Amino acid sequence: MGFFDEPFDFNIAAEGRVEGIAKVTGAGKYSAEYKVEGLCHAVLVGSTIAAGTIKSINVANAKQVAGVIDIITHLNKPLVPGLADEAKIKEARLGFAVFHTDKIYFKGQPIALVVAETFEDATYAASLITATYEKTEAKVDFKEASNAIPLTSAGKDRGNLSALDSAVQVVEQEYNIKAEVHNPMEMHATIAEWKAPDKLKLFDKNQGVNNVQRTFSKLFAIPVDNIEVISEFVGGGFGSGLRVWPHTLACIMAAKQLNRPVKLMLTRPQMFYSVGYRPAAWQKIKLAANSDGKFIGMHHQAKNGTSVYENFNEGITRVARLIYNFENLKTEAATVPLNLSTPTWMRGPGDCTGDFAIESAIDELSYKLNIDPVALRIKNLALDKNPESGLPWSTNYINECIEKGASMINWSNRKSTPSQLKEGDWSVGYGMAVGAWNAGRGTASAAIQMQRDGSITVQTAMTDIGTGTGISMQNIAHERTGIAKNKIKIELGNSNLPPAPSQGGSNGLSSIGGAVVSATEMLKSKLAEYAASQNDAYKGAAVNDILLSDTGISLKNANNLFISYASIWDKNKLDILEVEASSGPGAERQKYAFCSSAAHFCKVKVNVKTGKVKLERMVTVADGGKIISEKAAANQMSGAAVGGIGMALMEEQLVDEKLDSLVANDFAGYHFPVNADAPIIEVAFINKPDPNINPQGSKGLGEVGIIGTAAAIANAIYNATGKRLRDLPITPDKVLLA
Amino acid sequence: MKQEYNFSRRFFLKTSSALGALAFIPRGVKAFYEDVKNYIIPTKEQIPLKVSINKKSYAIKADTRTTLLDLLREDLNLTGAKKGCDHGQCGACTVHIDGQRVLSCLTLAATLPGKEVTTIEGLANGDQLHPMQEAFIQCDGFQCGYCTPGQIMSAVACVNEGHTKSVAEIKEFMSGNLCRCGAYNGIVESIQKVAAQ
Repeated sequence: MGFFDEPFDFNIAAEGRVEGIAKVTGAGKYSAEYKVEGLCHAVLVGSTIAAGTIKSINVANAKQVAGVIDIITHLNKPLVPGLADEAKIKEARLGFAVFHTDKIYFKGQPIALVVAETFEDATYAASLITATYEKTEAKVDFKEASNAIPLTSAGKDRGNLSALDSAVQVVEQEYNIKAEVHNPMEMHATIAEWKAPDKLKLFDKNQGVNNVQRTFSKLFAIPVDNIEVISEFVGGGFGSGLRVWPHTLACIMAAKQLNRPVKLMLTRPQMFYSVGYRPAAWQKIKLAANSDGKFIGMHHQAKNGTSVYENFNEGITRVARLIYNFENLKTEAATVPLNLSTPTWMRGPGDCTGDFAIESAIDELSYKLNIDPVALRIKNLALDKNPESGLPWSTNYINECIEKGASMINWSNRKSTPSQLKEGDWSVGYGMAVGAWNAGRGTASAAIQMQRDGSITVQTAMTDIGTGTGISMQNIAHERTGIAKNKIKIELGNSNLPPAPSQGGSNGLSSIGGAVVSATEMLKSKLAEYAASQNDAYKGAAVNDILLSDTGISLKNANNLFISYASIWDKNKLDILEVEASSGPGAERQKYAFCSSAAHFCKVKVNVKTGKVKLERMVTVADGGKIISEKAAANQMSGAAVGGIGMALMEEQLVDEKLDSLVANDFAGYHFPVNADAPIIEVAFINKPDPNINPQGSKGLGEVGIIGTAAAIANAIYNATGKRLRDLPITPDKVLLA
Repeated sequence: MKQEYNFSRRFFLKTSSALGALAFIPRGVKAFYEDVKNYIIPTKEQIPLKVSINKKSYAIKADTRTTLLDLLREDLNLTGAKKGCDHGQCGACTVHIDGQRVLSCLTLAATLPGKEVTTIEGLANGDQLHPMQEAFIQCDGFQCGYCTPGQIMSAVACVNEGHTKSVAEIKEFMSGNLCRCGAYNGIVESIQKVAAQ
């Protein structure tokens, strides 16, 4: 169950993540890698049209293939109680209930599942399945479809937009961003095994095991506890694992139908339309300021793509209410239904998109006002309170992020007029932008099991998708108990462990940290209770006075009271001492506002002949409260910056309007940064604890790492070339044609 | 050279005249052959193979369509090599064949006899991690860990190939291994560390 179940005998002194050895030796098991007796293999078949109705499916040829066990379609699916009729399907809120309709909403929509003895048999048989359709008109062109969709209010208006007319300087521009795809390196996969007619075991790639458990408990009308979800190693997510997607349900249905364990791993092309994406977006910004640079107000309008069967509003204008003071503010939004699969949250959802437009507009304004972009931002930051709720920030060091980042990149080397720095065919420029994210916290639980030798195991159901949750839990447990790190094991990513929210929205560590702290306090009290039977001084001892070591318990400011764990265990005939605690947000949420923030600076080189943009330096400074694991946190930030480079320069889901479909849906057609596309990212933290957000004082980092990065790069390109590029990604052709 | 040209020209002429002849076959006959083609499902073929993986010999029967990657992951329970695209575009499946880095998803299992395959599981020396594995832990050269076995196999080869003279060179020669978490800082640092040893 845990990272340490495999007997690792490696002599390793290196301090690294708790799961480090499992990851570098290949021993860690991701969801498709478990050995299950009698396992068969499933491959999905997608529709070849984008809109219409299935008239017939020809599975005859596929059935002849040696090794094929069964083929599931909407015509022969097993009963799923939670999807038994139209009303229940609606109530299930799956978006699209796989194999429960003959309607086609997007190209690639699963219409059949081939199950065979081997992966090769299933793959070949899947290629033989054909279908006939009654085709209807499909809409896949976001730009064209969005023209017809009216905007509606997104949040309360502030002041009056007519105030913008009196401004000295106004920037009014449109911004377009192409859809991006999460594409975690591990393709989504599920192994489903029905242990009994009402008992399900899943090895599944997702970001929240309890969410998966709850979803299938409802769908199959079986108790939550009858479903075990194991997601111990998750090969990345970035948001794609926050929902339960059709392929997982399809796999479970097949396992039910066949009464055999079934494995289904999406192919890379299927990953582009099966597990969400960041939708394409259009935005318009009108930003106005006085001659001294004080913002007068902003009008922010946004539209994002969604599917025809489900509405997904990304919340693009939310960030307009987070970072700066705008006395006059109006935000409007709309979603644009398309014959594509439903988009979903992707790293920095909404804010990442909205922030690009706002931070680009502010940069543009800075040149008009002839005020340094750093100074312009600092002048307008909402530093004392959240401009929307009016609550004071618990902590917000975004100004320090900006100052530190400016000094790290030597901002004074930047020229205030564009295209001044040249190196042969290259123009050099500097750019910056900021980002922020509402810092959340959910209620999470953790358990600690202690052995006689003083070693402990800390457990939670929360997944670690690469963010460093495991090492951070170990660090917190070590700091709070004093027990050596090599005596602290971590077990996570299993629904049998104490429940926790999904790993997403930068809430992971913020949520689980408090639970670990509470569990350590409970452990201390419990040990003191046992110790009290040997020495009265321990009776009712305050948690803060109880000290633990590798070998036993003692009390602060009191000598000679040491009692060994061994004697406690022996006297009380203990086997394992177990405590479990929950912890979550409380009244502090009514008193304070919480945010993480970051400032991003970069130096780019733009080739004037080819239009190629090369990142020379990228500096990112974050306020994430107290940093619990320096290396993992820096890794999060640098990795997010790499994601930002992708968003700015290359990531683009190509859609062919004539074929009604995605094209180039693989890594040859969809580019995200390779090693050579990114410089060594320079990361720094403010590292001041937030005293109110949670007991450990840390704020999430996953989102702020990317929010603002794309704008920083676009702004640097302007500084280098004098070309203002407002459509992402900024590919060489756009640079040359601008 | 001339010989080759003549051959291919002759081949071209032959093929095109055959295609030309096809045009004279009555429509109904053509459709008949199309129908027959559609209904012939090739039977799968299994061949006996002797392969050596991590210095261990395996005598197995493998589907002729099976890639080395699927052989490792599905048949031999060596799941260290990862499937990230199955198209040779991501590098997660990188293994060594006779000491060279190779994409196991583009290598058919049937081509393996006589060759020595090393996977991530065979990199450590008994209970002693390979220096590159140590370095990846120390430098936090990963996040989710899914591309990591491929990164490490490529990194070992990168050092052996001598492509470690600068950060830029390391980055260039490690660009066949994608990391969506963007843990490139730590990957480069790990390689620098091992190259300096």
